[in-house]
Amino acid sequence: MDHINFEVKKGEVFGFLGPNGAGKTTTIRMLTGISIPTKGTATIMGYDIESQSVKAKEQMGIVPDVSNVYNELSAWDNLIFTGKLYDMPKTYREKRAEELLRMFGLLDRCKEKVQGFSRGMKRRICIAMALMNRSQLLFLDEPTSGLDVQSVLVIRDLIRRLNQQGLTVFLTTHNIEEASQMCDHVAIINHGRIAVIDTPEKLKRTVENLQSVEVAFETVSPSMPEELKEFPNVSNVVKEGDKFRLITNDPTSVLASTWNYAKKNNLRLITVNTLGPSLEDVFVKLTGIRPATEGEGNNRMKTREMPRRIAKQ
Amino acid sequence: MSNVHSSHYGKEIRVAWAIAVKDMRTYYTKPPSLMFGILFPFSLFLSFSIGRNMPLATQIPILISQTLFFASSSIGPVVIPMERANQTFDRFLTSPVSLFSILLGKTLAGIIYGAGISVIPVLVGIAFFGSQIVNIGAMIACFALSSLAFSALGIMFASIPGQTPGQVMMPLNFVRIPLLFISGVFTPIGELPTWMQVVSMLSPLTHTVELARYATGGETFFGPVLNIAILTAYAAAFLFMGIRFHIMNQRKE
Repeated sequence: MDHINFEVKKGEVFGFLGPNGAGKTTTIRMLTGISIPTKGTATIMGYDIESQSVKAKEQMGIVPDVSNVYNELSAWDNLIFTGKLYDMPKTYREKRAEELLRMFGLLDRCKEKVQGFSRGMKRRICIAMALMNRSQLLFLDEPTSGLDVQSVLVIRDLIRRLNQQGLTVFLTTHNIEEASQMCDHVAIINHGRIAVIDTPEKLKRTVENLQSVEVAFETVSPSMPEELKEFPNVSNVVKEGDKFRLITNDPTSVLASTWNYAKKNNLRLITVNTLGPSLEDVFVKLTGIRPATEGEGNNRMKTREMPRRIAKQ
Repeated sequence: MSNVHSSHYGKEIRVAWAIAVKDMRTYYTKPPSLMFGILFPFSLFLSFSIGRNMPLATQIPILISQTLFFASSSIGPVVIPMERANQTFDRFLTSPVSLFSILLGKTLAGIIYGAGISVIPVLVGIAFFGSQIVNIGAMIACFALSSLAFSALGIMFASIPGQTPGQVMMPLNFVRIPLLFISGVFTPIGELPTWMQVVSMLSPLTHTVELARYATGGETFFGPVLNIAILTAYAAAFLFMGIRFHIMNQRKE
């Protein structure tokens, strides 16, 4: 990490975005006491993470990128043990464990050993363990990474509900759409440095010249990408599945060109969408990591993680 | 102020105990614990004692010492790397307790494992080979101090940043095995040359063997007071160094 500096406001969801190896997990590890920083300071709810580490840790719950539950113990015992680590009184920890297991839909299986649970269920237990001490701040490191769609939706909904109840959330993710949907503020980190911090919408406005028109024709010819690139005001054409994305700073003129092109070539248009700049565009601009396009095989591994952007409403 | 302190220490002890109990439930029956903690000392004992012209009753203190030594020092090197691999060790580091309490909990798990298993040779010796405990205080000191020192030794070695027990056991055995040969286990200290007696005095295992012999009515070379003093010093040193090494690891990450 290289001289990073940021502040998370109480009650907000703060997203920490960056490509793999950018320093997201390292930052969480330092803030939560797993690693000790060689230099610098950080405070959690006013408590210094080094000189008042116990007080600082009392304020937080942590969900790491791997569900670090005790597979040999039951869901109930996992939560009870967490309560013991926080020195919660017996009746209180039992009441809280029951409350959380009910909230996460795991009460009926609470006596089963966790090793037989699915990845999504383990993730839910992990989040429940992080909430045992009624923490004010929740660190979530890639909370939905590697989960099925249903589990992802359940966890996102849960994070939103907890945030509405006043919980501050520090979320690291490389899922840009997730950050765009959930975060009040986003920091983009690259090579151990923070490139930018702002709200997702303000960040999108910094790349207004990256608007685009998404078109799909019923039939596609091999020369089509080159022909579309010849349109006035089109800076680039990206093939995305059966669609073409025409990057432009003037979507209106591109729409007219597209219409004329279809008419001239007797093509039927299936889809036409105008897209505003996305957080992904900001990310790409700042980190230099872009989604894969035809002929960019080298980037495929990196960009497979990129979500598809959604049409601007 | 004293109430604040007592509640703080009370909390640290309660958490350490919770960690120890969890480790007992989770790791005592894991194959590496059984292999390094039980099979290893018993098979070593049998391989060196069978065929020797010594009454079995006089060999019981050796078996007690070896079991205390290997079983107590094996739990940390089994538990901590496995917890590192599952990232469950991070759970302790992020919980609101000191590193001392976390490692104390781990040490307690080693103490109970080592002392618990070492009761077996005591009972077997009494029941089948005519062994006698003539000084119960010395036996209690032997069990308490040795299991503490050796468990702390294991915790200290577990600071080696490995993710499998083997990665810690290998360097640990580089220390444990040679100690067997300089600690009066196979050759009485009185029969060693003077320089070897000095080396022997520096081994913590020597003092476990001596205390076990003293407690069962055997002869000692250094005497119980020196045995207790040296084992206490080693226990404190291993605990202190274990904490320092684990902090160094956290800084390196």
